[in-house]
Amino acid sequence: MATEFHNLQELRHSASLVTKAFIQRDYSEGTVCRFQAKFPSELDNRIERTLLEETVKTLNGYYAEAEKVGGRSYLEGCLACATAYTVFFCMETRYEKVLRKISGFIQEQNEKIFAPRGLLLTDPIERGMRVLEISIFEDRASGSSSPSSSTSSAGGAR
Amino acid sequence: MPAGGADALRPSAFIPVCTAVCLLVGSSSLFFVFTCPWLAVTVGPAVPPCSAVLFLFVLANFTMATFMDAGVLPVAADDEDKDDEFRAPLYRTVDVGGVQVRMKWCSSCHFYRPPRCSHCSVCDHCVEDFDHHCPWVNNCIGRRNYRYFFLFLLSLTFHMIGVFSFGLVYVLHHMDELWRLHCTVTLVVISVSGLFLIPVLGLTGFHLYLVSRGRTTNEQVTGKFQGGVNPFTRGCCNNLEYLVCSPISPRYTARPRGRAVVHIQPPFLRPALDGQTPAKVRGNGLQRQDFQNKKNSVELSDMKQTKTPPPLPPKPEHSLLRSLAAVDERKTIIPVSIPTVPQLRPVLEAISRGSSPIPPEQLLKTTEQPGSSKGPDSRESPVRVNQQPVPAPPPSGAASGSLQLNSLALASRSLTLKHGGRKSHLAAAYADALGSNPPTAAPPSSLLANHSGSSLSYDSLMHPHADPPFMSHRGVPPVGYHSHYVSLGTDGTVGQRPPPHSYSPVFMGVARRSPQPRETSPSLQSLTARGPSPSFQGFIQRDQSPTFQGLLSRDLASQSGAVRDLGPQGATPQKSAAGRYDSLSKTIMASIHERRELEERDRMLRLQARSQALYGPDFGIYDIPSRRSLPPDSARPPGSRGPTPPAYGSREFLMSTGVLGYGLRTSPLSSSSTSSLTRGPKAAAAPLLSGSLQGKARSSSPAYGPADRQAQALPLPPSTATATLPRMPSSSSPSAPSYASYATAKRGSLPHSSEGKDPVALGGLK
Repeated sequence: MATEFHNLQELRHSASLVTKAFIQRDYSEGTVCRFQAKFPSELDNRIERTLLEETVKTLNGYYAEAEKVGGRSYLEGCLACATAYTVFFCMETRYEKVLRKISGFIQEQNEKIFAPRGLLLTDPIERGMRVLEISIFEDRASGSSSPSSSTSSAGGAR
Repeated sequence: MPAGGADALRPSAFIPVCTAVCLLVGSSSLFFVFTCPWLAVTVGPAVPPCSAVLFLFVLANFTMATFMDAGVLPVAADDEDKDDEFRAPLYRTVDVGGVQVRMKWCSSCHFYRPPRCSHCSVCDHCVEDFDHHCPWVNNCIGRRNYRYFFLFLLSLTFHMIGVFSFGLVYVLHHMDELWRLHCTVTLVVISVSGLFLIPVLGLTGFHLYLVSRGRTTNEQVTGKFQGGVNPFTRGCCNNLEYLVCSPISPRYTARPRGRAVVHIQPPFLRPALDGQTPAKVRGNGLQRQDFQNKKNSVELSDMKQTKTPPPLPPKPEHSLLRSLAAVDERKTIIPVSIPTVPQLRPVLEAISRGSSPIPPEQLLKTTEQPGSSKGPDSRESPVRVNQQPVPAPPPSGAASGSLQLNSLALASRSLTLKHGGRKSHLAAAYADALGSNPPTAAPPSSLLANHSGSSLSYDSLMHPHADPPFMSHRGVPPVGYHSHYVSLGTDGTVGQRPPPHSYSPVFMGVARRSPQPRETSPSLQSLTARGPSPSFQGFIQRDQSPTFQGLLSRDLASQSGAVRDLGPQGATPQKSAAGRYDSLSKTIMASIHERRELEERDRMLRLQARSQALYGPDFGIYDIPSRRSLPPDSARPPGSRGPTPPAYGSREFLMSTGVLGYGLRTSPLSSSSTSSLTRGPKAAAAPLLSGSLQGKARSSSPAYGPADRQAQALPLPPSTATATLPRMPSSSSPSAPSYASYATAKRGSLPHSSEGKDPVALGGLK
């Protein structure tokens, strides 16, 4: 039983960050926020290409929606002007709302798709919208089986 | 005033702000108290309320411009930049609307500055869409607060015009009572407002011009778009619309962090081969089939050879081993032979030509269960397969039955994987196939993709031009990968072929993002590094080259013949994996030597090209790191990264030599461009930059380069900007503002640069 407990502990802490892959911004359309659809080579054997591309495409869609110059943003600007910008204390801007949506989307993607594959997507806003950071974790336990087995055997011996 | 660098928080930095506030609030208050009552009675009752509203608007915009974060980009985390600063180029080019825009490495913030981003030395941070640092609000004006600054200027202009004109009306009506308090005060108010109206009007006009042209003050003053096209403009009307109506972008710093924790626990899923390989198959199948007769030996040697650069192979090998373990442990393998056999075929053909008469694909085929009928179907009747619906995934029992064979296939693929680095892009697909099949909804779709992919790859053998959509969809890297080998094999003189002039900006953009450390075997590494090499891009761009097409048609016949040979064959005896590997090794070793010779030739050529680059007139986009230009080791501050010798074979060097033909720079810049163009340590780079630029006149070439450096040299002496304030000859007016100080500071730091460069800007003030 002690061995089992030890193994569980090993399992729980055995994912270690190996490296990070970065998806850069796509500036081909100016300074609007878009990320490149290019698949990083580090993720070749970690995730299906289509999954990541779908995620990036959805993110790009969200950002396009957030940065759309249109009636909604104009009204927001007018309202802000009219209230001498005090409305910003009470109300969330449209961009911020979309950012929250994006954050939720990334969280959901992480939980459903990326974490099971040992990857973690970082919200680009934390990197100043310059890169989309994907942390790559490795299974330390399976990668270094001897230490864990030695500890488990030590636990067993006890 | 948001928290900035040390300079922004100095007491002296608050003097202009306080002056501006005092003048604005004081004058306006006096106007409202002494002049407005008479105006309300005489001119109309609406005058004071309107003036009050306008004044409030001025104050609100002033407050927003002062306190709002301009779009400060947070400093990059350490792990974002894995490459040694000295090996990385100072500039990275991206394509913005067809115009090549350079992104400069910010040594303080540790990232390549996005287009239009600039580093404010007063505040010591990078600001997105940096306009200028305004001393009168003691804040940077950038993406987020430019509209407030502009509206502040506009409203201040109107307010001052209103105060001046109404005050004048009052004074004119009370000419005989000028000694009275009200009159005297009004006289003072109109003289102050009249005095500051001229510079404010000028600045407002200047910014109206900038907005109509879609430029920032930084770009205007540095002359970035004087001779060229501004890719950031949307047209006059749209620029104004964007200014007023665009959504307010979020702040990047000091964000509330409310994210939930995501637990990452092994075991990790790996993508199925079916899902991954079709992409590679489509992209690679064409080239591989076409060049298999010539390139297989080269490819095998490459795979073997890339074991030598130490950092590159371990990762793909490691992952392959892990996926191997996963295969063994989890037994969720789907029949891997189906999509990969077409890819393996060229390799295996070489093997068969070498010694083994029985290609392992035969072995793979024999062990395929009846349920997994996709493989033979796809090979023999591609057309039929295309229209067939996707069969259900074969039971895992069948898969486990073919475990032994899969290990064979694994072993053969491991050769392709040892190619290392970026090349594992292709080979990893093979490994992935053997990894565990993720138990998500992916398999059916991936199988479908695989199915059509394998059939398509077979089709591509017969009809090389038949499936552009799939190939193009799959992106360039697989194509580039094989093109690279094509280049090595076709003429053997690939080293002499000059890299292309046009690069895919996507690749250039991500070239630096390799997490792999650079290594000391430059030539090998350069050709096998994760980023695309120039020859990749050359072939990406030049995929209509006659050699390519010729080989395409030539090899197609042989390949189709081989396919037909293999197709009808039924069960064949198994051959041991060991025997297969022995036969492989001979071919491999022969190709290794051939490959090494080619790379030696490559390296010599690059050395020549580099020496030419150093002394040649044109540098193009990339600036080659030069040992001479780097600061001496002794001057390096502790803890900073030391200079490294120019890596001749490094990716950046290859790119820089490849860009020699750009011809964008003129000769006067060449010497300046060689100096201190590596990212370098922070402390040392600054004096070098300013030193190199001080003596250079600004050229008329696309002034992004020199202008950018000048712009960088400008903020570098941070005290200059504020120090020049008291020395400004004509700008006693607080409203001459930011622009005058900016221009003067610029003049101060670049004494030798030509004076005629910004007539518009200076003229606007005078």
